[in-house]
This record gives sequence, structure tokens and C-alpha cells, in this order.
Amino acid sequence: MRVWRARDADYRTQAPVKAAIRARNSSRGTVRAPVAAAWAVAKFEFRGKSALITLIDLPFAVSPVIAGMIFILVFGTHGWFGGSLKAHHIHVVFAIPGIVLATIFVTFPFIARELIPVMQAQGKEDEETALSLGATGWQTFWRVTLPNIRWGLLYGVLLCNARAMGEFGAVSVVSGHIRGLTNTMPLHVEILYNEYNYTAAFAVASLLALLALLTLAGKSFLEWRQPELRRATHLPRDRTRRVNT
Amino acid sequence: MSIALRGVTKQFGDYAAVEGIDLDVATGALMALLGPSGSGKTTLLRIIGGLETPDAGQVLFDGQDATLWPIGDRKVGFVFQQYALFRHMTVFENVAFGLKVKRRRERPSAKVIRTKVQDLLALVQLEWAHDRYAAQLSGGQRQRVALARAMAVDPQVLLLDEPFGALDSQVRHELRRWLRRLHDELHFTSIIVTHDQQEAIEVADTVVVLNQGKIEQAGIPGEIYDLPKSAFVHRFLGQVNELPVKLRDGRAYIGPIDIAAAADMQTGSTKNIALIRPHEVEIGDVASGWPATVVAVRVIGPIVRLDLCADGQPIHEPLEAEIGRERFEAERFSLGQRVGMRFRRWQVYPAAA
Repeated sequence: MRVWRARDADYRTQAPVKAAIRARNSSRGTVRAPVAAAWAVAKFEFRGKSALITLIDLPFAVSPVIAGMIFILVFGTHGWFGGSLKAHHIHVVFAIPGIVLATIFVTFPFIARELIPVMQAQGKEDEETALSLGATGWQTFWRVTLPNIRWGLLYGVLLCNARAMGEFGAVSVVSGHIRGLTNTMPLHVEILYNEYNYTAAFAVASLLALLALLTLAGKSFLEWRQPELRRATHLPRDRTRRVNT
Repeated sequence: MSIALRGVTKQFGDYAAVEGIDLDVATGALMALLGPSGSGKTTLLRIIGGLETPDAGQVLFDGQDATLWPIGDRKVGFVFQQYALFRHMTVFENVAFGLKVKRRRERPSAKVIRTKVQDLLALVQLEWAHDRYAAQLSGGQRQRVALARAMAVDPQVLLLDEPFGALDSQVRHELRRWLRRLHDELHFTSIIVTHDQQEAIEVADTVVVLNQGKIEQAGIPGEIYDLPKSAFVHRFLGQVNELPVKLRDGRAYIGPIDIAAAADMQTGSTKNIALIRPHEVEIGDVASGWPATVVAVRVIGPIVRLDLCADGQPIHEPLEAEIGRERFEAERFSLGQRVGMRFRRWQVYPAAA
């Protein structure tokens, strides 16, 4: 029972919820851009393609703390856009948008890197056929590309979600550690630990670990479904219908 | 629709895929683009279909400049070697795709779509498969679905990129004949890319032989086979024996066989080779021609192929000769037998080519 004797009562319920919201928000934002990037890299030839690939990998190479510092530099009170943001009463740093931005940056490569090989393996002929049959770019993407990558995409989102929940460095810099507002679970673990509140720290850490285990279970599930569903033979009909129309 | 290419050129980096191609395809023709891999035939097809933009030159559809038309506006149907069926859709949905993605104004009603798809599936003899997925069909069936899908949008041009390349030879033969019949019935303009000379000769009205991004020769199949303009075309269209042509005392010889006055060898080169197809080699008694030894006998259905080691020729380069089964049954050539060779036809090219 001592586990729940953490400082303020509200926070106990809020921390996991916040983490979940953050994971969801950033996943949503994190899905579109990397899918677009992966599509461009896998299916098209254009100038600056290798530059784009480098850009996708950048978050892997850069320490998340540096990413956080860059966000402070850009959006902070004394940063490049700090003044104009303040004038419009938009809070980025030390608020939820900052956390979401930092998480998007850190998780960006997960989905793109997951999708590029899947898309490359599938080749361009499906898309070319769709275009020759008169489909527009959007129709081609929604009706042909997306259904073919949906399991890979879900897998990427899952990995991205796991990373988002656990992200420490970048978020630590931009969040401001405001309890009940911008604190996240990993940050909270650190605070509790620094306050010598070991029990609570380990409790929250355990909760985080549990979420990780759930993620792993989800990942195993997808890996188990994927090869079967890729063959498309066993695909229940109603499912394909929903995707097509 | 008639198609014309004018000076079409396409580079991939430093590599010239096609170079200054001029080509005319008449309305309703079935043309084969034939060449080894890397000859630019697929690139040319993709340029016509709008999947690639040429670096220079023009593509004309019915005389109109279509070089920059988007692919959707060209009224072309594509069929790829690997079928490219949409895996997550049934056969019916695959064929209906081109109709369903039309703009609302132009889109036929669901009922019209159903009738049309059923008609097309009947045409390719796959009505029973309408609710199957691609994974449940054989290669030949998949390719027929791909054809039906391409035809659903009433293309004026059908572009086929090695359509039968992934199929076994029996199915390939059947589909070729079927495609030819379909083409004759429906009268669209078709271009088929292939590296299989037999396929090109069997199916097409016109064969265009490509090599290293350029047209080597274009013509009707029989003419290309019988009167190749270059050693490349000659070699590419079937088995050949290659022998050096030697000049002695103002005469030209293949081995000991006197073929012409040296002055008549108008190849512009002093080193020449003669190309002779296996069925152009005649076999008789030793005294009747160039003496040779039979080193291999292979009976291949109606024909029999003999490997002959001609006297004075390197042992590891035997010549191939083909004779009919009946003749073989009558004369029974056996290993080690001595025979005399003569050539019914040959063609001489400069050796460098």
C-alpha cells in the first residue's frame, strides 16, 4: 500500500493517463510524416533522396538531449520563435506541444525504417498499374499501397509507441517537469528517485515495465499474424472490403 | 491509336538506356520489342506508357504530342511480368478497380460495373474465379486476370512487359496464341516486350530488335529471321554456327568450301565471319563436302541435332546441324561416323561485329 503514497493524490491517476495521451498524440503525428517519407524513398526516384534518408536517420544518431536543446533554442522564451509564440499565447516549451514535438522527433525513424524495406520489397508495379488504370495519387495510396503495408505500419506504430512512453532525454529538457501537467512517467521515476522515495520510484518504474511487456506482447502478436496475413489467402472477406472502400 | 516515337532518348545516370529511337506503330498492330536484357526495350515501353519521361524526343499518340501526358490520360493498359495483381482484393475487385476509381461523373453504376467485369472474366475464361485472391490462382490465371483488369478501362493501347516470362513453356505457348486471337478480335494497338525470339516471331506482326538502346532492325518476323542485317540480329534470333571466312588466292573460303570471289565480299572488312543456322547445314558422305566427325546425337522430338567436329576446326567448338527425324531414321548417323558437310545458306559479316 505504501506504493501509492506518492506526493499528490491527483498525480497518481494522471501520470499514466498523460503518458498514454502523449503516446497517442505523438503516434498520430508520427504516423503521417514517416509514412509519406517512406513512400517517397521506397517508390520514387528524385534528387535529394539520399539527403532525405540521412534526415530520417538523424534522430538515431543524435542524442535526444540535443534534440531537446534544439527545441528550446527554436521555441524557448529566448529562442528564434519564442517572441512571436508568446505574442500569440502559444506554449510549446514546458507544455504538452513541446513534449509531443520532442517525441515525434525521437520516434520518427521507427516507422519510416520499418516501412521502407516492406515497400521496397513490394516494388512499384502495383502502384504503376493503379495509375495506368486511371487512379489518382491519393486513390493509389489509400487503396493499393496502404492495404499492403498495414501490418508493417502497425508494427512501426507499436515500436514508436513503446519508444514514446519511455522517452527521457528530449522530453526531460522541454517538459519542465511540472507535476500533473508536463511530467511523464520516466521523468517522474527520476524525480521520485532523487527524492529518496524509492518505493514510489520503483512502483512507477514497474508500471512502465508492465506497459513495455504489454507492448512486447502486442509485437509478438503482430509478428505472429503478419506472415499469415501477407499471404492474403486466409483474409476474411469483410476485412478487405473495409480497407477497399 | 497509332504511336510514333521521334528521337526518344533516356539516360539513367551515365548509362544511356535508349538513344535516339524513331519508331512507328500503326493502329491495331501488334509489335514486339525484342532484345537482350539491358537493351532498353522495357524503358521504351515505359516511356510510351508514361511511366518514364524521355530526356529528349517526342512520343506521339495519333499525331498528337503525348510526351508529357500523365499516365492516367493515355488510355494505355499495362501488363507486367509479375502480374502485379492487388493482393488484398479478389479477382472481381481487381478487374473492377479501374472502373471504381473513375471520377463520380464518369463512374458507371455498380450494376454496369458488375456486368462489365463479368463479361471480361468470361473473355479470359475465369468467371468461376471472381471471388478468389491472386494467391489462389496459377501464374497463367493471374496473368489473364491482369489482362482483364487492363482491358476494363477500354485502353486503346495494350503494353505488355514480358507478360509470359514467368510462366512455364506450355502455358506460355497457350497464352501467346490466346493473346494473338484476342488482339485480332478486339483491334487495339499492342506492344509486347520480350527477350524470347520465338515469342516475338510467333505473336507479332512487326518485330523490332533492340541492342544497347538502339534499333538494330525492324521488320516482319520472317524477314528478320531470314535476312538479318547484322551479326547481332542473326545470333539473337536463333542458334548459329560461326566460322571464320578465309581469303586465299582471290577466293573466299569457309573451311575448304569455296563460297565466293574475294572481291564479292562487300563487308568492308578483311576479317569476316560466316553465320550458318543448324538447319542450313547439309550432311552427306565424306567425299561430298567438308569432312567431319559426328560427336553427339540428340533426338528432340521431330528434329535430331548432331554435333559435328569439322576437320581443321578446334575440337571443343563442334558445329550444330539439324536434320529431320525421318532422315535420321533412314540414315542412322552414329557417334564417330565420318560425314561430309555442305552449307545450304550462310551470311557473312565483318568479324568485329
